[in-house]
Amino acid sequence: MGHLAQAHSVTVRFGAVTAVDSADLAVDAGEVIGLLGANGAGKTTLLLSLLGLVRPSAGAALLFGGAPSTVSRRRVGYVPQTLGLYNDMTVEENWTFTCRAFKQRRPIPATIADAAGELVRDLPLGLQRRVAFAAAFSHDPELLVLDEPTSGVSPLSAARLWADIRAAANAGSGVLVTTHNMEEAEQCDHLVVMVEGKVVAHGDAEAVIGRRAVVEVRCADWRRAYQVLDAAGYVVQAKGTTLRVPAPRLEVERVLDDAIIEARVDVAPANLEEAFVAIVSGASPS
Amino acid sequence: MTWGLFSASVRFGGRAALDGLSLVAARSQVTVLIGGDGAGKSTALRALLGLVPLAGGDVSRPGKTEIGYVPAFGGIYPDLTVAENLAFSGRAFEIASHDLTDRSTQILERIGLDGVEHRLGGHLSGGMQRKLAVALALLHRPRLLVLDEPTTGIDPVSRAQLWRVISGEAASGTAVVVSTTYVNEAQRAHAVTLLDRGHAIVAGSPDEVIAAIPGAVGALRQSTQPSGPDPSWLRGRTWRIWAPDAHLPPEAQAIQPDFNDAVIVAELDHDVMRGR
Amino acid sequence: MWAMIVKEFRELRRDRRTLAMMIVLPVLMLVIFGYAANFTVSKIPTVVVGPLAQVVSEHLHLPFDVVGVDPDETRSRAETQLRDNKAVVAVVTGEGPITFLMDGTQLFSVQTAETALGRMVQSARAAGETPPAFSIQILYNPKLNTSWVLVPGLAGLILVFIGTLITSLGVVRERQAGTLEQLAVMPFRPWDVIAGKIIPYLAVASFDLVVIIALGAGLFGVPFAGNVAVFALGAFLFLLVTLGLGVLISTVSQNQGQAIQLAFMIMLPQILLSGLIFPISSMHVGVRWIAYILPLSYFIEISRSVMLKATPITALWQPLGLLALLGVIVLGLAVVRFRRDLAPSSQTAIPLAEITDEAA
Repeated sequence: MGHLAQAHSVTVRFGAVTAVDSADLAVDAGEVIGLLGANGAGKTTLLLSLLGLVRPSAGAALLFGGAPSTVSRRRVGYVPQTLGLYNDMTVEENWTFTCRAFKQRRPIPATIADAAGELVRDLPLGLQRRVAFAAAFSHDPELLVLDEPTSGVSPLSAARLWADIRAAANAGSGVLVTTHNMEEAEQCDHLVVMVEGKVVAHGDAEAVIGRRAVVEVRCADWRRAYQVLDAAGYVVQAKGTTLRVPAPRLEVERVLDDAIIEARVDVAPANLEEAFVAIVSGASPS
Repeated sequence: MTWGLFSASVRFGGRAALDGLSLVAARSQVTVLIGGDGAGKSTALRALLGLVPLAGGDVSRPGKTEIGYVPAFGGIYPDLTVAENLAFSGRAFEIASHDLTDRSTQILERIGLDGVEHRLGGHLSGGMQRKLAVALALLHRPRLLVLDEPTTGIDPVSRAQLWRVISGEAASGTAVVVSTTYVNEAQRAHAVTLLDRGHAIVAGSPDEVIAAIPGAVGALRQSTQPSGPDPSWLRGRTWRIWAPDAHLPPEAQAIQPDFNDAVIVAELDHDVMRGR
Repeated sequence: MWAMIVKEFRELRRDRRTLAMMIVLPVLMLVIFGYAANFTVSKIPTVVVGPLAQVVSEHLHLPFDVVGVDPDETRSRAETQLRDNKAVVAVVTGEGPITFLMDGTQLFSVQTAETALGRMVQSARAAGETPPAFSIQILYNPKLNTSWVLVPGLAGLILVFIGTLITSLGVVRERQAGTLEQLAVMPFRPWDVIAGKIIPYLAVASFDLVVIIALGAGLFGVPFAGNVAVFALGAFLFLLVTLGLGVLISTVSQNQGQAIQLAFMIMLPQILLSGLIFPISSMHVGVRWIAYILPLSYFIEISRSVMLKATPITALWQPLGLLALLGVIVLGLAVVRFRRDLAPSSQTAIPLAEITDEAA
């Protein structure tokens, strides 16, 4: 079976602005693909081109092996960033609307049944997202497309939502997710990193991080160490009292020595966020 | 004089947005408030700033001229240029004009906004707009800096730059209070408070929060959610399981929980206590 | 498609502001305007002067509403009564034919008066009597030009439109841009913010007013007979109220759509109930009270009087005073409402629960 969705050198231009530049992407059944990038990197536009809501200026966007159409879109469950729910209606009414639209009659799922009679606008965001997801999944779509599915929700709600997503993938659907949240990105089977419209890296989290490393600085006078390293031009992250510096160990040690700061300097693998920053800074010279 | 909220309660209509919350804004420290949407983070910060009245408890903060505030969205004038935005803030805080130019240039450089003085606020990208909002809040050298979800929706590069500035402020003595939904950002803090529906369900330094986990946390490498009484959640490809009584099921491997685990356990514990 | 229809109805049911607009508003409008729209005037305030005043006044019946009979008064004093809006018709008796002086700025009253006089002559003749000789003199607007009467009023209407609409978005924009809360945390007082939102528009609107008056003079020959300072004072007070109303609207609106809805609902009655088209005096009593709370009604009175009749300030203290009072009320409410928005709280504990509305 071919890919559920595929982008083949897709370019999308809006007037003088190139939102997506020759991007490649493929989503297969049973896997979770994460489209990672900053706001404005072109993730949503690429998504919309796969759904046929935006026409590529060049290249091909394929949905279930053909050009996206109203018919093929019926096999997709889509949750936009704004959720696509009607705030003035109850959970039950929203569910009924979706079922009617897809000409099905389904009982409301257990995960959201408790809140059936409540207005969507009165629910906490985490629950709203679960409702939106349930609605998207209501017609057994082969492909799920989710735009920033867990932005703004509590950690437990996010974990529960991801459990729902993983269950959908295990049941055979392909899932395409966009995110700028590094934490979430680790949940995906495969990552596609976008910067200013271009795909700059892809693979699983480990592959994307590659062999990038940072140094961890631990010392008593961490505050002064921070100021010294900051003044020397490094982008220092403070994790509690441990400092992380994306720079070679010897350099950092030398800077600290010059300022007569005694510290323990160890090399550690970069996390996804640090790797992303390195990729982005490398991709766009600034 | 300690600044912060002391057993503060806030009501909106019939419901309690904050219930007996205590939050100290200590100098030279970054205090982070985490929680999902609707947990009460914005309300807590606004109560600290005096933007919402308290239904109970106390609040203490410095005068208006010593507070810098970055609201959750916006906070800049889209129809004014970067320079005009700074001029407005400067005038409002009565910063002398020569001092203003120096200070503006200094901050813009530090925050990564140099070179765009004459661009309209509305024409800046999301990350740059947020940086401008932070710049406006820092202009008058506040002693208390309050930021409401400063990094939500912002690209990772800008986010890193913002945190650099935030940590830098704390390092030079300012009391910084930040709210966020990103758990990994909370790890940078000196003090963390996890909010859920107006209650603080856990508070302390990140290490203290981890140490405070009751029971034990284990990991299971399987594809379906574990059945059984102990709550479990998905983390990457493995399932984490929490045994409140420290008796993990035999197939689970005991692990050293990290901060993310600690936060989820705290939420689960809170749910259990509320009978959910 | 059925799903869409059901959904729209369900959403509509919960959107109370739109429901109110769609159901309540048309009913209200029809009732009010039905009672307000009236081209004939039933009571025309009339003074009678001169030696034959008493006799003549006894022959005057409705629509003439005799409010003053003074045999000793002269014609020029009678004219002053007209100029100062104390009467619409002044009957001057003495040697020669009776002169009916009429205030040309009250178009419908003048028409009604002329028709009434014509009927009186006819019925006298039919009864075989000879009616006394009389002449009609229309002052201030001799040709009964509609544009002369309309332009001063339109100037006010245009200012209401622009003024209310523009400022109604002012605070809402701050709210939506997220800058409102920041203002609250900065060393500003609520009054600073409100004044800052009104004063620039005051300047622009004043300029607009000058342009409209100039155009009126240039295109339609509308005169400006009176004191510019008095007009300016009236305009200033009127603008304060109008712009202040706009700011008040924006403090009770959560988004631009709501603000515009409210602004329109406030502007609509002013078109038809302020005396711009239908005279206030001809409105049914049950709806006439609405005219008395509309700032535009007072501005129209002031602008027509000053521009066409050169009415002095002493005769206009009532509308000017009422505008000033409206201004104080509206701006006061705006400040109070705004202060609640910013909700500065004291630093000490408030023991009792203070229930506030859900903040934006």
